[in-house]
Amino acid sequence: MSGFLVRRILQMLLALLGVSIVVFALMHLVPGDPVRVALGTRFDQDLYDALRERVGLDKPLIQQYFSWLGSAITGDLGVSFRNGQPVTTLIMERLPATITLALAALFIALVVALPAGIISAVRSGTGLDYTVSAASQVGISMPDFWAGVMYILLFSLTLGWLPSSGFAPFGDGIVEWARHLILPALTIGLISGSIITRFVRSAVLEALNQDYVLTARAKGLSEWQVVRRHVLPNAWIPIVTVVGLQLGFLLGGVVVTEVIFAWPGLGRLALTAVKDRDFTVLQGAVLYIAFMFLAINLIVDIIYARLDPRVRVS
Amino acid sequence: MRKARTRWRIAILILVLALAAAACSEGESVDVGDETTAAPAETTEAPAETTEAPAETTEAPAETTEAPAAANILIAAQGSEPDQLDPHMTSAYASFQVLENVYDTLVQPAADLSMEPALAESWVISDDNLTWTFTLRDGVKFHNGRDLVADDVVYSFERIIAEGLNGWRFGSVESVTAPDDSTVVITLTRPSPNLLVSIAGFKGMAIIPKEIVDDGSIGTSPVGTGPFRFVSQSPDEGIVLEKNPDYWRASEGLPKLDGIRFVQIPDAGTKLTALRTGEVHWIDAVPPQDIESLSGEAGVTVGRVPGGDYHYFALNQNRTPFDDVRVRQAIAHAINREEITEAAQFGAATANQTAIPASNAAWYYSYAPFGSGDTATAQGLLDDAGVSGLTIDFLVTSDFPETVTQAQVIAAELAAVGVTVEITDVDFSTWLDMEANGEFDAFMLSWIGNIDPDDFYYAQHHSEGGFNFQGYSNSEVDSLLDAGRVETDQAARKALYDQAAQIIVDEASYIYLYNPDNINAWRDEVGGYMTRGDNAIRFEETFLQ
Repeated sequence: MSGFLVRRILQMLLALLGVSIVVFALMHLVPGDPVRVALGTRFDQDLYDALRERVGLDKPLIQQYFSWLGSAITGDLGVSFRNGQPVTTLIMERLPATITLALAALFIALVVALPAGIISAVRSGTGLDYTVSAASQVGISMPDFWAGVMYILLFSLTLGWLPSSGFAPFGDGIVEWARHLILPALTIGLISGSIITRFVRSAVLEALNQDYVLTARAKGLSEWQVVRRHVLPNAWIPIVTVVGLQLGFLLGGVVVTEVIFAWPGLGRLALTAVKDRDFTVLQGAVLYIAFMFLAINLIVDIIYARLDPRVRVS
Repeated sequence: MRKARTRWRIAILILVLALAAAACSEGESVDVGDETTAAPAETTEAPAETTEAPAETTEAPAETTEAPAAANILIAAQGSEPDQLDPHMTSAYASFQVLENVYDTLVQPAADLSMEPALAESWVISDDNLTWTFTLRDGVKFHNGRDLVADDVVYSFERIIAEGLNGWRFGSVESVTAPDDSTVVITLTRPSPNLLVSIAGFKGMAIIPKEIVDDGSIGTSPVGTGPFRFVSQSPDEGIVLEKNPDYWRASEGLPKLDGIRFVQIPDAGTKLTALRTGEVHWIDAVPPQDIESLSGEAGVTVGRVPGGDYHYFALNQNRTPFDDVRVRQAIAHAINREEITEAAQFGAATANQTAIPASNAAWYYSYAPFGSGDTATAQGLLDDAGVSGLTIDFLVTSDFPETVTQAQVIAAELAAVGVTVEITDVDFSTWLDMEANGEFDAFMLSWIGNIDPDDFYYAQHHSEGGFNFQGYSNSEVDSLLDAGRVETDQAARKALYDQAAQIIVDEASYIYLYNPDNINAWRDEVGGYMTRGDNAIRFEETFLQ
C-alpha cells in the first residue's frame, strides 16, 4: 500500500509540474497584456515600461517561469499584478465559500442520486425507471445560468424566502449561512446529481446482471438484501469515480453559478484574473484547481484499493 | 456485514475529513512570506493587516444583511470588483465608487461640474496666469488622526507625476511647493485655464498621506480625509466604510450615514433582484432594458441624468481607403444614430454628432452636419471616392457589450451602401493591444468622465495626441487645440474649441454616436442621494429614513 501511495504521489507532482508549464505558456501566448489593461485607455509608453519592469514582465519568459516555480515550491505563489496582494491570501480568502458550496452541492447531489439511481436500476424498465431517467435528462440539460436565474426569480423575488446573492460565513449564524447557501447549492447540486444518477443506475444495473446475483437470489435472499450485500459492493467503484470527478469539478469553483449568485468563490477570482490578465493570480488558481483534482483522484484511488484489493496488486 | 460497515466508515471518514479541511481553511492564518519575485514592493506587507481586519468588523455588517434599514448603514451594490484601492494607480470605476467617499481632492466638481472648494478653501491666480496659490482649509484631519498639511498635497502630486496613471494631467505644471503648512503654490509653464479640472477633476487626483505609501497599505487600506473611513475588505463582506467623525464638514452634520457597505454583484439581473427585494439599498447601474420596468415599481427610485461620457467609432486613416475623407464622411452619413442609441441603450442616451453633451453647458457646441441613415449622400461620396465593395474590419470588445450591439446595427446600416462590416469581437485586454498596434479598419469604444474640452479633444485628435490611434492629422486642428490649452478668456477659449470640434466632426476623425445617461437606482428609504453628471458616487449627504 505504501509503495502504491508513493508512486501515486510522485505521479501527482509530475502532473502538477506539467500543469504549471502549460498554464504559464498559455498565459503568455494569449493576446492581451496585464500592464496595458491596468493602464486602461490612458496609455503611456514610459509608464508602461516602468510598470512592466516593476512586476518583472520585462525578463525573459524562462527566467520568469523558474523564479515563479522557485517560490511556488515554497508555497509562495507571488503577488497579484493588480493589487500587490499575495496570491496565496487571495486564494485562501475564497476557499471557505468555495468548499462550502462544493460540499453542499455534492450533498444535495448524493441525496438525490443514490436513491434515484439504485431504485431506477432495481426497477429497470418500469415507469419509475423512465421517470427517473427523464428527470435526470432534464437536470443535465438545464444550464446553470438558466436554472440559477429561475431559482432567484422564484425563491427571492416572487416568494421572498431566500436572499438572491452573497455568502454569509458560518460564524454569522447557521440560519443566514444556510439561507444564502441553498439556492447556489441547489443550482449545481441538481445538475451534478443528475449526472451521478445515471452512473449509479448503470453501475447497479451491471452488477445486477452478474451470475453471483442470480446465486444470491437462488439462495432465497430478499431483493433488498441482494442489492445491499451483493450488488452495491460491486457497484461502488464506478460510483466513487464519478463522485470524485464531480467533487474535483466543484472544488475548482463554478464560475457561472458564482457570478449569478455573487458567491465569493474561486471561480470568480479566476474569471476576474482572466479579464485583467492577472497572470500570477490565474496561475495560482489553476494550480490550486489542478491540485484539488489530483488530490481527490488520489483519495479515490485509495478508496478503490480499500474497496477492491485487486487494485493494490496491479 | 463487516465489509459493508467498513465501507460506510470510509465514506463517513471522507466526509469528516472534507469538513475538517473546510473548517481549517476558514480559520487558518496565511503565511504571506516575503515576496522576492515581483511587483509593488511597497504593497507586500499590507495584506497581513487586511486579513485580520475583517475579524473585528464582521459583526456590524452581519446584522445589516438581515435588516438593512435597522442600522444606519447603506448597502451599495457594485457591478464589478474594485481591482485595488490606491487612487493613483487604479483605472477601475468600481474602485473610484468606493474611493470617492474616502478621499478628497484639492478642489472638486460641484453638481453642475463647475469646480468648487474642497481641501483648498480658496485660491488666487497671478496676473500672468502662471502661478496659482491655494489656501488649505483649517483643521482637516486624515483618518489616521494626523492633520493635513500642504506637504501632503505636494507629496501626492509628486507621486502622481512620478508613478501614477494620471501624471499626464500635470503637463503644464512646472512645480508644486508648500511655502507653509496651509499654502500650496503651483507654477506653470504656460497659462492653463483648465488646471482645476486637470488636477482635481476626479479622485484619481486624491490627496493622500505619505505614511500609507511608506508602509505599503495604500492599495488595500486607504486613508483619506473624506466623509467615510475605510474599515475592511473581504470577499465575503465586500468593502466596509464607517463614518468619519472628524470630517471637515462634520459641523454641517455630515456624513449622515454611520457607514456604507459596498457589495459586489457581477450579474446585472441578480443585482436588480437584490434591490427589488431590499437586500441592498442602492445599485450602481441599471441595464437600459430594465429602466422602464424598474421606474414604475413601488419602493424604487431610478436616478437618471445625461452623462458626460461619449460613444464613438473611428476609422483607421493609416489604411486605404479610410485616408480619404469622403469615405469617412460617407460612413458618418449612412449610419443612423437614433437607431444605434435605441438598440444599444434602449433610448437611455442622447444621439450627438459631437463629443460634448448638452448637459455640459459651458462647453456644448451644437453641430450636426451628417444625415441620419442618408444612404443617397453616402453613396454619392463613395462613388466620388471611387470606392465599391468596401469591407471594414470592425474591432469591438464584448467586455463592453454595447460596442458589439452597436457594430451589429452599423453593419446592417452600412450594408445599404454596399459596405460589408466584419466584426472582430475580442476581450478588452486583447482589444487594447490591437488598438495600440493599429490592427483594425475601425474601432469602437467610449470615453468617460471628461469635463474640460481639452480632455475631449487633445489626446484623441491632435497629431501628437497619445490616443490618436486612428492616425488623424490636421495642422489647423493642432494649432486650435494648442491655443485652447493656454487661452484664459472663457469666451475666446470656447470659440477655439468650437472651431476645432467643427473640423474634427466634418473630417470624421471620430464618428460620434451618443452620450449615454448616467443611471443609478435606490430604495425609497434612501434620501439625499443624487445621480451626477460626472458619475461620481457621493454618499456624504445620503441618509436612510
